[in-house]
Amino acid sequence: MTDDKAAAVAEQLARLRNDYLARLPAELAELNSLAAGLCGGEEHKPEIDRASLDELHHRLHKLAGSGGTFGLADLSASARSLEQRAKGWLANSPDKLEVEARHAFAAGVAALGATLAELDLPASATPTASTMPASAAAPGKYVQVWLVEDDVLLGQELVRQLESFNYQVRLFTRIGDAEHAAQSERPDMLIMDVMFEQEGVNATEKLALSPDLRKLACPLLFITSVDDFKSRVRAAQLGAQGYFLKPLDVPRLVSRMEQVFEQRLAPPQRVLIVDDDLDLAAHYRLALLGAGMEVEVLHQPETLIEKVSAFRPELVLMDLHMPEISGPDLAGVIRQHDNWASLPIVYLSAETDLTRQIEAMERGADDFLTKPISNAQLISAVRVRVERARQLAAQISKDSLTGLLKHASIKEAADIEVIRARRIGKPVTLAMLDIDHFKLVNDNYGHAMGDVVISSVAMLLRQRLRQSDLIGRYGGEEFAAVLPECDAEHAHRLLDDIRQRFAALRFSHEGKDFACTLSAGLVCSSQYPDNTGAELLAAADEALYAAKRGGRNQVRVAAPDIR
Amino acid sequence: MSALQRILYVEDEPDIQAVARIALEMVGGFTVKTCSSGQEALREAVAFAPDLILLDVMMPGMDGPSTFKALRELPELAETPVAFMTAKVQPAEVAYYKSLGARDVIAKPFDPMTLADQVRAIWEA
Repeated sequence: MTDDKAAAVAEQLARLRNDYLARLPAELAELNSLAAGLCGGEEHKPEIDRASLDELHHRLHKLAGSGGTFGLADLSASARSLEQRAKGWLANSPDKLEVEARHAFAAGVAALGATLAELDLPASATPTASTMPASAAAPGKYVQVWLVEDDVLLGQELVRQLESFNYQVRLFTRIGDAEHAAQSERPDMLIMDVMFEQEGVNATEKLALSPDLRKLACPLLFITSVDDFKSRVRAAQLGAQGYFLKPLDVPRLVSRMEQVFEQRLAPPQRVLIVDDDLDLAAHYRLALLGAGMEVEVLHQPETLIEKVSAFRPELVLMDLHMPEISGPDLAGVIRQHDNWASLPIVYLSAETDLTRQIEAMERGADDFLTKPISNAQLISAVRVRVERARQLAAQISKDSLTGLLKHASIKEAADIEVIRARRIGKPVTLAMLDIDHFKLVNDNYGHAMGDVVISSVAMLLRQRLRQSDLIGRYGGEEFAAVLPECDAEHAHRLLDDIRQRFAALRFSHEGKDFACTLSAGLVCSSQYPDNTGAELLAAADEALYAAKRGGRNQVRVAAPDIR
Repeated sequence: MSALQRILYVEDEPDIQAVARIALEMVGGFTVKTCSSGQEALREAVAFAPDLILLDVMMPGMDGPSTFKALRELPELAETPVAFMTAKVQPAEVAYYKSLGARDVIAKPFDPMTLADQVRAIWEA
């Protein structure tokens, strides 16, 4: 293996291992509660639930296998022995299982976590800030944030506010405590105060010297009341992704946090390579795989259309000269399909004749890379183009301030989801939300502040609703949400929770704090079995105005009669 | 004998699948088709036309040995070499799998850096 390739392999393996380690605590917790279930209620119910023992056996087997694969020998061995025990019970009659045996088994499962406590992550497995996706930060899951702040009151207030954005925050009032925790755990983000008055230390200095905290290698934000240049420079040197002055503007802080996580959560870029030179294609593929992209290679141009439909590449990297069909001809075939009119196509060829390059570009391609090309060049050329294509696609369908769907897209989504809901016989709920007295915010604090308020509603909606829900900015300060498979009652609970969280947010403008409220109206498709998405949106809007007339800061369900 | 290129890999655990893919595709340079169950393997195997099949022994539903028997009944795959992958490599067990007609048994956990060599050695044996 060449060094390049060995490094790419090592990187991929380290990535998988880190992902695995991040998921492991949750898996162990689930195993624990399953095993604890074996011990519960033994007085009344001597027979064991076979299904849960089956489940335990299966999960322990997986854990033994995966743990071994990732070099966690102790964990694997312990899981294996528990697996054997469960298997033995399943084979005989588990009904007669002694209470002591169950307790011993549950204790064994509980002890699995201990095998990890001594786990010392090798340097190669430590993620770097730029390349590692925080797997625990997968959409819809809690994101673990550590807040290191010696001002307890401020710390607690910040914890409360961040938690309403679905961040799980752990407060440390001393740097030493965070250092200690860092030996065995890893957050998805670290937020630190710069000045620790009582300890008399500057966190930017301290952090640079603390191997335990450096090793976390998670995104880092600083908060501070002193704006001194030296600390700012040191923060930048430490790779901090934000430096926020007190009094804190929480929505701005959250907006930065979101940005950081979004970058890390972006799905891998998908690249299709079309090249008749198998070795070269394999080499490019390896290079791009090593950069975390998903790559497929097409050797036979005849199957191009099937391949593009199935794989949905975000960029096609194509050899200009292939024996039977030329690159430009293939590009032409791709461009015949409306869906792929904007799919970036990049030629890769040894062709250095500029005129011929231009000719090739005129026929449907976007760019031209000249062979030989270094891996680094190839990766960056591909990455930049895919990112730009993604931005463009987002700009077409998404509102620039909030990142939510635009008016037309959310209306279309409402129509589609109402039809889908009727087909599958499930309810869908549509909601309209509006910020109360928004004009006053703009008038009193300016439009920039108004934008902050609007984006924080957007962030709350994104954080509190499910991945499968669709959220749009309907107008200036008006939002619409489409909640598939959700009835009116459940939607009311959800939106009322969002309403309360929004009301509890404190915005800060030139040292003055203020709060806003919102009103919402919702309607469930089951209330009006014969109406279209647009009619239901109108009904939700009607309910929203009922909420406004009823005194604002409330959520109303549409009246049963639509007209 | 032609060179080993196409490997059908049947394993239910996604984490192990991912590591094996790197070991076989990136390190070994093979073309790998991964199936997550015996049933899936039966559906996909003929179309993929593997040179060699790697089968995890313990999978929920259809386990390795029963997948093996079912694959053998497909005329296209009657002769395709199969290796089992298992954590419990005891001589009696290895003998049993070989008696079923398996080419060899690979111990789990495998080393991702050497798995490809090991598979190639089994192919050439």
